[in-house]
Order: sequence, then C-alpha cells, then structure tokens
Amino acid sequence: MTAVLAAQGLIKSFGDLIAVNGVSFEIAEGETFGLLGPNGAGKTTSISMVAGLLEPDNGTVHVAGTQIRTNSTNGRSDIGLVPQEIAIYPDLTATENLRFFGRLYDMPGETLDKRVEEVLEVIGLSERQDDLVSEFSGGMQRRLNIGIGLLHRPRLLILDEPTVGVDPQSRNAILESVEDLSGEGIAVLYTTHYMEEAERLCDRVAIIDEGVIKAEGTRRELVSLVGEKDRIRVTVTGDLVEVARVASELPAVHEASPADSGVDVLANDASSVLPELLSRVAATGANVTGVAVSEPNLEAVFLHLTGKALRD
Amino acid sequence: MGAATRIAGKDLKLRVRDRSAFIMGIVTPLALAYIFHLVFGGTFSEEALDLQVGLVDLDDTQVSQSLGEALSGLEAEGVLVLTDFDDTASAEASVEDGEIGAYILLNQGLGAAAIQGQPFTIEVVGDVDSQTTTQVTSSIASEFGSAIERSQLSVTTAIALGQPPPPDELAIWGEEAALRPPAFTFVDVSADTRQLDANTFFAAGMAVFFLFFTVQFGVVGILEEKQGGTLARLLAAPISHTSVVAGKAILSFALGLISMTVLIVATHYLMDAEWGPPLGVALLVVAGVLAATSIMGVIAATATSADGAANLGAIIAVILGMLGGTFFPIGQGNDFLARLSYLTPHAWFMRGLANISGGAEWTGVLPAVGALLLFTLVFGTVAWVLLQRKLTR
Repeated sequence: MTAVLAAQGLIKSFGDLIAVNGVSFEIAEGETFGLLGPNGAGKTTSISMVAGLLEPDNGTVHVAGTQIRTNSTNGRSDIGLVPQEIAIYPDLTATENLRFFGRLYDMPGETLDKRVEEVLEVIGLSERQDDLVSEFSGGMQRRLNIGIGLLHRPRLLILDEPTVGVDPQSRNAILESVEDLSGEGIAVLYTTHYMEEAERLCDRVAIIDEGVIKAEGTRRELVSLVGEKDRIRVTVTGDLVEVARVASELPAVHEASPADSGVDVLANDASSVLPELLSRVAATGANVTGVAVSEPNLEAVFLHLTGKALRD
Repeated sequence: MGAATRIAGKDLKLRVRDRSAFIMGIVTPLALAYIFHLVFGGTFSEEALDLQVGLVDLDDTQVSQSLGEALSGLEAEGVLVLTDFDDTASAEASVEDGEIGAYILLNQGLGAAAIQGQPFTIEVVGDVDSQTTTQVTSSIASEFGSAIERSQLSVTTAIALGQPPPPDELAIWGEEAALRPPAFTFVDVSADTRQLDANTFFAAGMAVFFLFFTVQFGVVGILEEKQGGTLARLLAAPISHTSVVAGKAILSFALGLISMTVLIVATHYLMDAEWGPPLGVALLVVAGVLAATSIMGVIAATATSADGAANLGAIIAVILGMLGGTFFPIGQGNDFLARLSYLTPHAWFMRGLANISGGAEWTGVLPAVGALLLFTLVFGTVAWVLLQRKLTR
C-alpha cells in the first residue's frame, strides 16, 4: 500500500536541545499510526515538521508524494491538523469557524455548505451550529477542533493529543470518531501519552522518547520485541497439578503453574492458544469455571525500552 | 490576496462582535473631542478672540495719532474693535461696565517727549477679567513705545556722530521718525506654527491619537492567533505566510480608515470641524493610517504576547501623540519641540491638515503625505520582515 506520509530522518534542535533526532516513519492510507511518549518526548515537534509548521534541520517529509516545506503551500491541502490546543475562534459560531477554515482550503461554496453540514453531523454539533463557540463545553470545543481538521477531506489527519483535558464521555466520543476515520481511508497520525488510547486506536505505534523512536510496530510486535507474554488465568475445580501439566505440554505455552483455585498460564499469544488449552483442560475432567486473559500492555513495553514509566 | 481578505474579513467580524474597535476607534475619540470642544473650544478660536480695546489720546499730536491709525488698521482687519474716548473717566467707566477689555492712555506731552528724546509713558488699563485683551493691548502699546525709542535712538546717534542738524530740522527729524508706522503687521505664519481652529484641532487630534490604538487591533491579532492556537492552523493551511501578515495589515488599514471617516463626518456635523478639501483629507487619512499601521506592526513584531504588544503600543501611542501635538499645539513658541514633533506621524498629519483646513488647495497636504509615506516605508518594511520571521519560528 502506498504511504500517504513518509517522514525520513527528521532532526530538529532548539539551541543546544535536540528535540527530535532522526525520526522516520511512514503511514499508509487508512492506517492509524500512534506516536506514544511522555510530555517533552518530541511528539509535537515531530508533527509540527510533518504539518509544515517547522522546517527540519535535516530530513524530509512527503505527504501523498509532495515534499512539505514551511515556505511552500504545496501538499498542504492533503493535511488536516488538529492542534493540541483548542484552535478555534470563541466569538464565531461553529458554522462560521468551519466555513472560515474551509474557505482557506479553497472549498467552493456548495461543496463547503454540504461538507459543513456533514462535519457538524459527525461531531454531533448540528443542533448547536449557530451558537457561539464560547458557549460550548470543553468537550464540544474539542469535537469542533477535530471537525475543522476533517473538513477539507485531508488524506492525512494529524491529531496532537486531542483528548487532553476532556471529560470521559467526550473523550470516548472523540475516540469513536477517530476509529471511524480509518474506514474512510484517511491516514491518521495520532500523538498521545495515554497508553490505552494508542492501544485502542492505532494499527501501529512508535514509542518515542528524548526525540528518538525507540521501537515501532503493531502492539503485538512491540510486545514480542521486549519478550513479554500473555497471562491466562484458568479457574478450575479438579486436579490443578494435572491441569498445569497438560497445559505446559502445548507448544505455544511458555509456562503453566497451579495457583489459587486455578492455573496460571504464560503464552506468546493467548487468543491462538486458548481453544486448544481449554479443550485439553476439559479432557482431564476438571471443571472450568472461568478464564481471564491479561495481555502485556504498551506501558510495560515503554518501561522496558526507556526504563521509566510513560507518565513520568 | 484572497486568503488575506478572508482573514481580514473574519477578524473584522470578531472586532465588530466584541465592540472593542468601535469603542476605541470611534466612541472614545469622538467623546473626548467633544468634551475638549466644550471645555476649551473658545480658548484659541478666532471667533472667541473678542478684543474690545479703547484709546484715550490726551496728547493729540501726530505721534500719538499714529497709534490711533495703527489700531484702526487692526480694527479694519477684524483683529479688534477700537473705541476712542475723550477722557480717562469715560474709558474707566467703560472698562468697569465690561464694554471694553482694556484701554491705552496717551498722556499729554507724549509727542513732545518723543521728539526731544525725553522719557515718556504709555499706560494700559485692563479689566482683571479680560486677561487676553489686556495682554494683547499691552503688547501693542509696548511695540508702539519701542518704535518711538528706535526713532529717538537714530536721532541721538546722528548728534553723537558730530553732525547735529540745525535746531529747526531736529524737530522735523524727530517728528518724522516718530511718525514711522509701528510694526503692527499680521503675516501669514509658517506651517510650523500655524494653528487649526479649536473645533478642528480637537477633532483631528483625537482622531489621529486614537488611530494608533485602533489599528493595533489588526496587527496585534497575529499574537492573539498565536496565543489562541489558531495561528498553527492558519500556517498549516495552503496559504502563504504573507497572506496571514497581509490579512492583519488589511484589517488594521480598514479599521483605521473606517474610524477616521466616521470621525471626520461626525465632527464636521457635530462640532463644525473644518477638515478641508475632501481629496486632500482623503490623501492625508490614507497616508496617516498606513503610517500608524506600520509603526504598530513593528510593535506587534517585537512583542512576545498580545497583552505586551497592547501595553507597549499604548505607551508608544501616548508618547507620539503628546509629542506630535494632538492634545495641544506643541510647536507654538518652542523651536526644539517643534522640530522634535516632526519625528511623529501625528505632527505631520496635523501640519498637513492645518495647511488645507483654512480653505487652501488640496495640494497643501502633499509634503505631509510624503512624510507619512516615508514613515510607512521605513516602519512597514521593518514590520513586514520581522512579522514574516516571527511566523517561521
């Protein structure tokens, strides 16, 4: 699949501080790519270069095959930017905000009118479209902030920590909106320091710290990279030692041991091993009363790669 | 240019909604101009200079009569109203009744003393409530006395050089010298010290003073966009950085133009301000707005926040306004200040207006317009470069 975004060897320094040091990644059409890292890791600097707001000291950014430069407008129509701050005009209505930015992207009248209606529908603000934004809740403003980025149907949407400071309900609505974007074929670059958002939304994740991408891949690839295993707790009544022995005979199982009222199993991929495991346990005559799977998360990966917690 | 006008249009809508530009650009200057007009309007307007002067000529010689002729000449020019009195008592009564503000008393023997080179006295009696008339009358009397003294000096010098005229000629010399007309001539003063009438002065002064606050709403908008996060969105859009800067400059220019136009029309009808030929005023206003926008653009480019720019802009606007003579005619009687004031666009604006407000040709504004465009070129270039640089950081 053709890469919508190709960032190659991005370097950016501010004085003596090297904010971004050799960052490279690609995003394909319909793919959601996450930049996961703590505050100050270099996420915003990276996306500023991708969006053409900052000129890299070294490296290139291509969006849909066009190089993005700060001093050129080429390729910018393919980019939708949702800044971390709520970047809208409080004294304009939702419709006026959308129409203003739509005109900057040279959207013709009828197309713009139609698209404004669609976006208002998507972000759930149709009922409030003629209200001043200053009267909106923080969550509604966040949704409009995203809507403006989507308005001109960009091929690449950049979302810079879009859920910071948002209440849980609005946050969920935002995440659902982003999930829908991949279905529309939009490439999404999503920065966050919330591990659970990256896990939920992103097809691939790059873990960034101190301006360097430490690792990149799917969640499964990242987890494998650091040797973390899925943990399966099988709650059974019966001979726990026999159940553990049978489980440990499975090739994908790394370790199985009796525990309180059940057996703990460590496996490479819980979802693939679970059917066979349950079948064998049942064959021992034990009665399975519950199964719980806990997969290693990106928090653990981050800790492993950087030696510090994600929220440090 | 399309993106720039769209940005300017959006900003204009925001400024209309928050009413700040309306209050700063129209309401405040209009209110202040009107208050100044009510309080000080009569202080230095020609209409208010009602000089009622009396003359008591007890000497009745050719020397004393020359003062009467000079005063009559001033009356003919509309500078004062002269009343002749036969005696001191009637003049005194007229002052007490408020019919005249002051009178000049020429005692008997003045002419003879003047011819013979003897000391002489000219008295001025004024009403304590007519300070201006008394002051002007004293100045006239003083100038008349000086003219007689100069004539006496020339006669004395001739004698000292050893060429004493015959006694009969001496009297004629003295009389002729004393009869030379005193230097009471009104000349068209240079533009440096020319003064607008009070109504026009306060209207123009307040308009150009607040113009600098008004145009600030445009160019400082760049800093507000930065603080509000919307600047990133503008810069990420497929528009050039130039469009963003130009959009703000267009708004500044539009706000300045609207403000000045409304103030000119309003003060003309409300305060009888005489702005002068429309073409000249239009040129002056356009050049003035451009200069103000350029200077405030430099401030916006050097400040780090919108509040900082507003504060710095206010300080600069007040200093330039005061120095430029928008509150009082600073060039009157002080050459250094007069020269210094031309470092401000305000002074050039007021000078340009003074040149045409009295009914002169519109071309009278051209020197001032040239100076204002020079301000625009210098400060506008600096602002343009700095603002562009600010956007790429």
